[in-house]
Amino acid sequence: MNSLLLLNGSPRGERSNSMKMLSRVAEGWQQAGGDAPEVLHLTRRPDFARAVEAFPTAGRVLLGFPLYTDAMPGLVKAYIEALAPRVEAARLGEANPGIAFLVQSGFPEAAHLRPLERYLEKLARRLACPYAGTIVRGGGESLQMMPDEANMKLWARLRTLGEQLARDGSFGADELEAVAGMERLSPFAVAIASVALRVPVLQFMWNGPLKKNGAWQRRFAAPYGPACR
Amino acid sequence: MRITILNGEPDPSAAFDAYLRLLASRLTASGHVVEKLDLRELDLKGCSGCFNCWVKTPGECAKRDDSARICRAAIASDLLLLAAPMSMGFTSALLKGAVEQMIPILHPYFEVEGGEIHHRARYAHYPKLGLLVSAGSDTDAEDIEITTIMWARMARDMKSRLVFSAVADRAPEEVADELALAA
Repeated sequence: MNSLLLLNGSPRGERSNSMKMLSRVAEGWQQAGGDAPEVLHLTRRPDFARAVEAFPTAGRVLLGFPLYTDAMPGLVKAYIEALAPRVEAARLGEANPGIAFLVQSGFPEAAHLRPLERYLEKLARRLACPYAGTIVRGGGESLQMMPDEANMKLWARLRTLGEQLARDGSFGADELEAVAGMERLSPFAVAIASVALRVPVLQFMWNGPLKKNGAWQRRFAAPYGPACR
Repeated sequence: MRITILNGEPDPSAAFDAYLRLLASRLTASGHVVEKLDLRELDLKGCSGCFNCWVKTPGECAKRDDSARICRAAIASDLLLLAAPMSMGFTSALLKGAVEQMIPILHPYFEVEGGEIHHRARYAHYPKLGLLVSAGSDTDAEDIEITTIMWARMARDMKSRLVFSAVADRAPEEVADELALAA
């Protein structure tokens, strides 16, 4: 038996960037002979309860979610708190499943996610779960805007990681490094971005929706105090 | 000085809840204007990443819940104290969920700050941040370190600085005095 409990911790639910990425990992997992995963979305109340209940007997768990204000979303923290009895169970000799994580952020650099990765590694230790590693990936918000073809390379890497998880029981270090993309901005990129981001038109990712929603004139609204500048 | 305390203790009968009341009294007695928001009493619907607070109703959460009270109090404060019990190696889900509903106080536009991409300020003034946690039976030094690093990063993202961080293992009056000095 090679079962996988796949938990999507994105507050956006099913149509999230996290879920898009998790699906590719699941594809690789199945290609390498893993069973079709049980997929649960923590935003749904029954799924959340099922995720708590199914954890102790899962073959393996993959929990994925976006970075929210430099940490896990409150939703995911609530799930982690619901696993607290498993710490005690492990102390009493019960086994917990092997666990892997996927975390992604809208910021382009992977560096934003590293403290969270450290937390997750510690969490695995706390639960005495064999730790299969954490997929860290910056630039997640662009997945929403790019055509699927533009993400082919990323999808392929995520599939490879899924295969590794099924075959070896953990993610490979080289593949984890490759999937992370840019760790930090280079000094050159800092110089370019510092200038470029001062040009309002380059904030196109936000300007489009602001205009579409008729909110463009109010974009600098500051309802709770004196506005910036 | 104006100080807002976000109380992320879910259990009203917990010792930490009483601790925060003593802390707030001391700060008030020292002449500070203190507002304590007990997050468990607020109607908070949670951030679902819709970004409407950035692109549809700029500056305000479209969900129209009590998160507006948190944002308003934060912007009007000199110091925002994040207070919560540790659980499973991090501050409570209650505190975390409340803080992520504060993103309306930022502007979506990106800028480069400290060599990293961050969001731009919406307001002229942001409160300094403090962190006060109560340790659980399984909390260790590594948990505190990781938690502090994560909140310090969050402070930077909130156009602020984490100027104070402590574990509530000393008299609340003592911690209150230190906090006032840091702010």
